[in-house]
Amino acid sequence: MTDATAPDGTRGRGAGGARGHGAEPEGLPDYVRGGRDGLGEAELAELERTWQSPPGFLAWFTHVNHTNIGRRFIITSLVFFALAGLLALAMRLQLAQPLNDVLGPEAYNQVMTVHGTAMMFLFAIPAMEGAAIYLAPLMVGARDMAFPRLNAFGYYVYLIGGTVFFLSLPFGLAPDAGWFNYVPLSSKEFSAGYGIDVWTTMITFIEVSALTAAVELIVTILKLRAPGMSLDRMPIFVWAVLVMSFMILFAMPSVIVASALLMMDRLVDTAFFDAALGGSPLLWQHLFWFFGHPEVYIILVPALGIVTSIVVTFTRRSVFGYAALVLAIVGIGMVSFGLWVHHMYTTGLPLMGRSFFMAASAMIAIPSGVQVYCWIATMWGARVRFATPMLFVLGFFAIFIAGGLTGVMVASVPFDRQVHDSYFVVAHFHYVLVGGSVFPLLAGLYYWFPKATGRMMSERAGRWSCGLVFVGFNLAFFPMHQLGLEGMPRRVYTYLPETGWTLLNQLATAGSAILALGFAITLANAALSLRRGAPAGDDPWDGPTLEWATTSPPLNCNFARQAVVQSGNPVWDRRRAEVSAHVGGLRTDRRETIVTTVLDARPHAVQVLPGPTPWPFVSALVASAAFLGLIFTPWAYVLGFFAAFVTFVLWFWPRRPWRED
Amino acid sequence: MEHRIEVDAAELSRFAPHDHPLWWGILGAVAIEAAVVANLLTSYFYLAAQAEAWPPDGVDPPALLWPTLVLFVLPLSSLTMWWAGKGSDAGRRRQLALGVTASVGLASLALVFRSIQIAEFDIRWDEHAYGSILWAVTGFHYTHVVSAIVGTAVVAVLAWRGYFTPERQLGVVVDTLYWYFVAGVFLPIYLVLYWAPRLL
Amino acid sequence: MRVCRLAAVASAFALAGCDGAGGVLAPASPDARLVASLGWWMFASAIFVLIVTLGLVLVGANLHRRGEPRRISFRASVLLVVAGGVAAPLLAIVAVAISGVVIGDEVEGPGGADGPWIEVRGELWWWEFRYLDEDGEVVAVTANELHLPVGRRARLRLVSDNVIHSFWAPNLQGKTDLIPGKVNLLYAEPETPGTWRGQCAEFCGLQHGLMGFVVVAEPPGDFARWLAAQAEPHRVTEPEGLAVFDRIGCAECHTVRGTSADGEDGPDLTHLASRQTLAAATIPNSRGNLGGWITSTHTIKPGAKMPSRIPEPEDLHALLDFLESLE
Repeated sequence: MTDATAPDGTRGRGAGGARGHGAEPEGLPDYVRGGRDGLGEAELAELERTWQSPPGFLAWFTHVNHTNIGRRFIITSLVFFALAGLLALAMRLQLAQPLNDVLGPEAYNQVMTVHGTAMMFLFAIPAMEGAAIYLAPLMVGARDMAFPRLNAFGYYVYLIGGTVFFLSLPFGLAPDAGWFNYVPLSSKEFSAGYGIDVWTTMITFIEVSALTAAVELIVTILKLRAPGMSLDRMPIFVWAVLVMSFMILFAMPSVIVASALLMMDRLVDTAFFDAALGGSPLLWQHLFWFFGHPEVYIILVPALGIVTSIVVTFTRRSVFGYAALVLAIVGIGMVSFGLWVHHMYTTGLPLMGRSFFMAASAMIAIPSGVQVYCWIATMWGARVRFATPMLFVLGFFAIFIAGGLTGVMVASVPFDRQVHDSYFVVAHFHYVLVGGSVFPLLAGLYYWFPKATGRMMSERAGRWSCGLVFVGFNLAFFPMHQLGLEGMPRRVYTYLPETGWTLLNQLATAGSAILALGFAITLANAALSLRRGAPAGDDPWDGPTLEWATTSPPLNCNFARQAVVQSGNPVWDRRRAEVSAHVGGLRTDRRETIVTTVLDARPHAVQVLPGPTPWPFVSALVASAAFLGLIFTPWAYVLGFFAAFVTFVLWFWPRRPWRED
Repeated sequence: MEHRIEVDAAELSRFAPHDHPLWWGILGAVAIEAAVVANLLTSYFYLAAQAEAWPPDGVDPPALLWPTLVLFVLPLSSLTMWWAGKGSDAGRRRQLALGVTASVGLASLALVFRSIQIAEFDIRWDEHAYGSILWAVTGFHYTHVVSAIVGTAVVAVLAWRGYFTPERQLGVVVDTLYWYFVAGVFLPIYLVLYWAPRLL
Repeated sequence: MRVCRLAAVASAFALAGCDGAGGVLAPASPDARLVASLGWWMFASAIFVLIVTLGLVLVGANLHRRGEPRRISFRASVLLVVAGGVAAPLLAIVAVAISGVVIGDEVEGPGGADGPWIEVRGELWWWEFRYLDEDGEVVAVTANELHLPVGRRARLRLVSDNVIHSFWAPNLQGKTDLIPGKVNLLYAEPETPGTWRGQCAEFCGLQHGLMGFVVVAEPPGDFARWLAAQAEPHRVTEPEGLAVFDRIGCAECHTVRGTSADGEDGPDLTHLASRQTLAAATIPNSRGNLGGWITSTHTIKPGAKMPSRIPEPEDLHALLDFLESLE
């Protein structure tokens, strides 16, 4: 009902988990010495205490700062990435020989389903959300997200949902109908047992987390920008996050509806997808792909923002065609909602209808092309610094463009009817998703790691990793194009020797091992650099955007004083003019951040943000119990509704003393 | 490096209920739920278009009386909600408490009407896809009304205890916004569930 | 061990002669040929665009770092973005859309279809092909082996009463799904005699991976003779084996026309011995493989719906005699 709670429990000493600065000696921590941004030492110290996330294991469940939550999202998603990657290796091992028996069909189908679902729902989206949650508030110069407690709630939902989903595999209860879970294969008649129920409930549940992240990213970006950061001065990455969030807002409901309908079909015998009772299996496909296609771009769009950030920093130039890039990103977001039928070219829909979607699908090439050429124009003739982030961006160019081009090919109805559901498509979407999303994520990891930890990652290991990932990826996935053309369908647990697919499959398996090695090097690099990396300083790359204006890792309060900005490159402005403009007058004894107008970011209010609280965790626990219950009984819906409601009331109940300003 | 203060936040409002980030957040929640409703209603039409007869032969479209009453009761409860907000803006705590309580009462009445009408459905959810979607959409809106009622009941309790002031009324403002949505979204649902099978 | 045995079995299959390799790239029908050339054209254009764009990235990024950094003029940048980012993709879109509609219309259309009507039924996890006469009456039923007349445009009616499957014979035609509650049409027109492999392309559960079939294209005269033979009921020559067939439960699921066996869950076995393969085109049809399939079904295909049976040796021999008599 209200956010009136004064931050409590934040008076303890010690820099604590939020900053990772280690224990604080008597007196003040080092980084507040002499103050910052013209804010005195004592005031900064108080501000830092106010914004501190309390240390200790139990207190961990009360943290709400966006840097904590964002970091957790990223780390958790990387863990799921590694696990789902291991599943991919298991599949490649199985396919290295015809009629191999590393995995039987039952295990293979589970592994394949969990791999796809986890990569999409547990890795790609949360990783992007995590990056956005960590970076967007810093980039717009805010002290925190608009709804810090909701943010924490979203994380626990994701953590619990993802963990339950993954645990279904060792328990042998994993879903096995593929990541798009087509009916009637996933109906009760053809998939008895709890596997599919785990899928429907946990996917719906995890989407709740995506939706909360989307809402608060939108509000944070629209309302909490630093004064002066009008929409046309917003970093492209923030634009990309904004577009991603709107896409989540409008795409996720359809997968939630789809899985809710399937849940009802399985749980209370409704007939939405039962052709014998007037239902329609194709309804599932429409609903799923109305979400599923934008989903791909939900993953891609923030990656485009990452690439832009890196291109700008490593060419030391503002981007060419800012407006064109923004329009392109918005354009991709909108067009992506009009393409879903290209996943259904083989279902026997009328050709005229499919032709419309064929043109629309190819249309996405325009905004993508505009972006690529804007980056080229930005780089042209610059003295580009080829540090690891930039190398990953070059890898992104090669792989993403290749995947985009096969994307135009599969947009063609007659060609797609040949390669649809074959390994050609497997190759295509791995080029687009790994090239378009994992490469930028790794680039972003190398780029922002110093900001988040205060340490540089090893450049040498980075170059090795980049090279191995690039070579391994192409070796693993390029041969799949040909496998598809030679008639190998996707999602097969084995194949016959006389098909002649063995050699190409073996190449792919070898490539996947190299690829895994490349990823492992980056993971090890990150882990080792946490302690051993060279100190980074505030701004190791000479970046233009506001996250580089604070310490590394960022202060508990992000900025000693919030900035007032005059252009799209505020940090470069500061350095040139030797002047930094700030917001004054925010209290240091409670969590305050400035609220500005949507379009031109004129300051008009101050939002008081809540401090650490365990309630989001409790609510998430209750909600998870309800969703878990839904696997077994419809009554969990009613029970969970009221139980969750009680925790929400406790969460929002105003604590005395009531605030009187 | 010279540090300048260009914006002084000391004088800015800490309470801006009508343009507070939370208000925008509720708008986001409303957008999500509107998208869910749009998906459900589109599914309704998709299933109808696939079917040979809609509703299936021998099944009557749901009766009009009760839902039509609901159609009027829900806006009425929005009106009392609005009146309560007026009171809150003007610092009349009693008006706020009364208005909010009246809304809860009216919406509970709507819930009773809805329940009667659900009991009168001519088809069960497991007999035909028509029944499935009819029950699902109805159940979804029913859940909405229930959550609006219980949420507002909490606001009412706080209102009677004198928590809200003209400054400290964010809870009322965002609750009202959600209420309008729950009342408003019944119109498309009503038209689709009760009139579409008659007119198509 | 299983691997070794199956591999041995399968290499024998390779000798049995399947020109299956090549798939989309070895078209054997006008439709597949058209799509293959469309694919080659698109592939060539894609390679061209990839080389040009990456070349621009590398040249633009100035890898060699000659000279001072300088920015190209605003006009040149705009030109670059408009040419590469708008004009070129637009051209591609127009080309893809027009070729897609024209070729799509051609390959999906009936085009004076004059071949047989065949109902293709997707089962778990095998294929049933029902040859229909002009009135839609079933003439003959076979499984996992589709015979087509060369030079005729056969009409395939794709249906399923279980999950979604997808019929894909890449040498002949793009795939089309078999969806419960829906009937889809597909036309197949082989140009030359030959034997190709096809496979289910929509994930359909445990044995999706090995849900294959064989397409045999033969001259119309041969095809007509084959169909007439398939339409005949079986004349029993091995009554002992038939008795075993009944006794151990085969007849509950399989039909052998001309006998009392009329089960409907499994493939029609009336002319089993005339087929090239067993177990949805997974193993070659031989006496040894038949025995193996009956006695250790789930070693060959884990999860297959057919229960395995281990009859007494003499019964098994009688049964195999009977099955081999199903010419």
